[in-house]
Amino acid sequence: MRILLIEDDLEAAATMVRGLKELGHSVEHAATGTDGLALAQRGGHDVWIVDRMLPGMDGLAVIGALRAKGVRIPALVLSALGKVDDRVEGLKAGGDDYLVKPYAFAELVARIEALGRRLGTEAAQETKLKAEDLEMDLLTRTVTRGGKDLDLQPREFRLLEYLMRNAGQVVTRTMLLENVWEYHFDPQTNLIDVHISRLRQKVDKDFKVSLIQTVRGSGYMLRASV
Amino acid sequence: MRPSELLRTTSFRLAVSYLAVFIVSSAAVAAFVSWSAALLIEHQVQDVVDLEAGGLSDRYREHGVSGLAEMISERLRQDSDRRSVYLLLGPDGIRLAGNLYGWPSRQAEADGWVKFTAERIGDRLPAAEVMARAYSLPEGYDLMVGRVLIDAKRVDKAINRALVWGLGFTIILGMLGAFISARQLVQRVDSMSKTAHSIISGDMKSRMELSGSRDEFDRLAQSFNEMMDEIERLVESIRTVTDNIAHDLRTPLTRLRSRIDVALLEDTGAKELREAMEAAIQDADRLLGTFNAVLAISQAESGARLNRFEVLDPSVLAQDVAELYEPLAQEKNQVLSVRVEKALKISGDRHLLFQTLANVVDNSVKYTPCGGHIEISAVKSGDGVVVAVADSGPGIPHSERERVLERFVRLDATRTSPGNGLGLSLVRAVADLHGADLSLEDNDPGLRLSLTFPKLTNAR
Repeated sequence: MRILLIEDDLEAAATMVRGLKELGHSVEHAATGTDGLALAQRGGHDVWIVDRMLPGMDGLAVIGALRAKGVRIPALVLSALGKVDDRVEGLKAGGDDYLVKPYAFAELVARIEALGRRLGTEAAQETKLKAEDLEMDLLTRTVTRGGKDLDLQPREFRLLEYLMRNAGQVVTRTMLLENVWEYHFDPQTNLIDVHISRLRQKVDKDFKVSLIQTVRGSGYMLRASV
Repeated sequence: MRPSELLRTTSFRLAVSYLAVFIVSSAAVAAFVSWSAALLIEHQVQDVVDLEAGGLSDRYREHGVSGLAEMISERLRQDSDRRSVYLLLGPDGIRLAGNLYGWPSRQAEADGWVKFTAERIGDRLPAAEVMARAYSLPEGYDLMVGRVLIDAKRVDKAINRALVWGLGFTIILGMLGAFISARQLVQRVDSMSKTAHSIISGDMKSRMELSGSRDEFDRLAQSFNEMMDEIERLVESIRTVTDNIAHDLRTPLTRLRSRIDVALLEDTGAKELREAMEAAIQDADRLLGTFNAVLAISQAESGARLNRFEVLDPSVLAQDVAELYEPLAQEKNQVLSVRVEKALKISGDRHLLFQTLANVVDNSVKYTPCGGHIEISAVKSGDGVVVAVADSGPGIPHSERERVLERFVRLDATRTSPGNGLGLSLVRAVADLHGADLSLEDNDPGLRLSLTFPKLTNAR
């Protein structure tokens, strides 16, 4: 993915650039809002990562200016510690996701990859999801694996749906909470793990290949059919 | 205090301007009184003159000019207050009777009235102001009848004297009053600003003195003192939090550091190094978790989230939390049940309330022994709504109930289990933010934590 990073903390930016490059992304970095705006206008990015507090031009203003010009590239807004976490404000300004510092790098990666994917999948209104031999019918709300019906609770269905929509990509525990349970909150315990292990009982237990995989230090990933 | 300072005070300036207004208006009143008194006196004089002239004209008709002259002389003899003025002139301009030396040079009005100053014959007094009326008699005789206006002058003088004395007294008393009240006010304001300065220089305990008169200054001082109490409480709580953060973050940070140190020191292989790094990430995640919890609490306490309040149904929250924690409870063979009424409404921030309820249920699941039961409920109570979590765990001793709501406080019994001691402080902060009553009660056995939300008002 081609990423534009607008971040004034040079040390943090260097780490992020290194980390993202290591994961195979190409990264352009701008240290001020005005430079970032110029780079973004030149185009050629899949995702923007924009810090809120920037010298020259505020991060939200940068996104607002680009959105006003009709540029629809997904943006992840980073907000600093101490600043009031105003997710609503960030999203209103045209941000597509919001991450509060301090955050784990894995969280950042998972979110921008999800954002990059959204661009491709949003248009298609699928009624069926498929991953390996796992099939989900969104209309009849049924799931089968290898032709065998799986009996899922409504929440388990949504959990699996989210994993399948993001198949082949890491999703973090907070992403699951935000998208499946629709609450922004910080679980102190292994809450999500228990739900995942329940889901595994139904999806993977009787099969040779485990589809739901744990990614250490990050979250979970559903194996994608290649 | 210097006098110049006194002169600059608001109260002194006010007093002086009131005084000026008072002086101008009393002068105006005095002028009006004197004008209307003069008018009244003139009218009286005119009445008397007309009456006398009537008598004289009767006499003239009956006895002619000589009779008239006689009557004038008679009247002048009998004039006890020596205020009458007469003058009868013959056709040749020769005075036939009267006490004026000559006809006044001043032209009479159309109605015959004239005001002039003249000396009188046989009167050793200086010239006096006279109000008189001229009459033309047949055959060229001229008659003037009038009265000295001495009264009007006297009244004017009396009024002016009263005005001068009255105003003099008023000015002296007013200035004195202005000085005294200005001094009192300046003293009170000085004492207030002294208090403020002592607070500025670091004495947070300093408070303003109340005079006990419950006047506007007392009210101001009272509000100021209440504000200082609140500020002091906030500063104190910030200090406590900072101390606690310093203390509670130092331990995991030290552990994190030494873990990395050790991994680097020994001749460790790539696999061990990787494991150490993963453990370090877990440590860092826990630290971030603590940070986020502190952040959530201070957000709740600052009220910054108030603009995100919406009307929501707490029974939905209760069911969602139960659903989220059900698998965890089941792992410990606990029964997690939900008891809710339908169509409940409260105003609040759903994410914060969810986090709050999750914190409480998290504690319950953590501390309730295997096979225990936990109940999440949301029911109407009076006008409000009670959301409660009751468990069959060990509970919290009475003496510790207030303490566990403070930040970073962990009861000794729980020191070994994971957690940051912030869960219940968030609960308290969120309860305060929502105007809800938080109470910890015995569930015999176990703990029952309840949040009583106020009646939903349309105000929000």
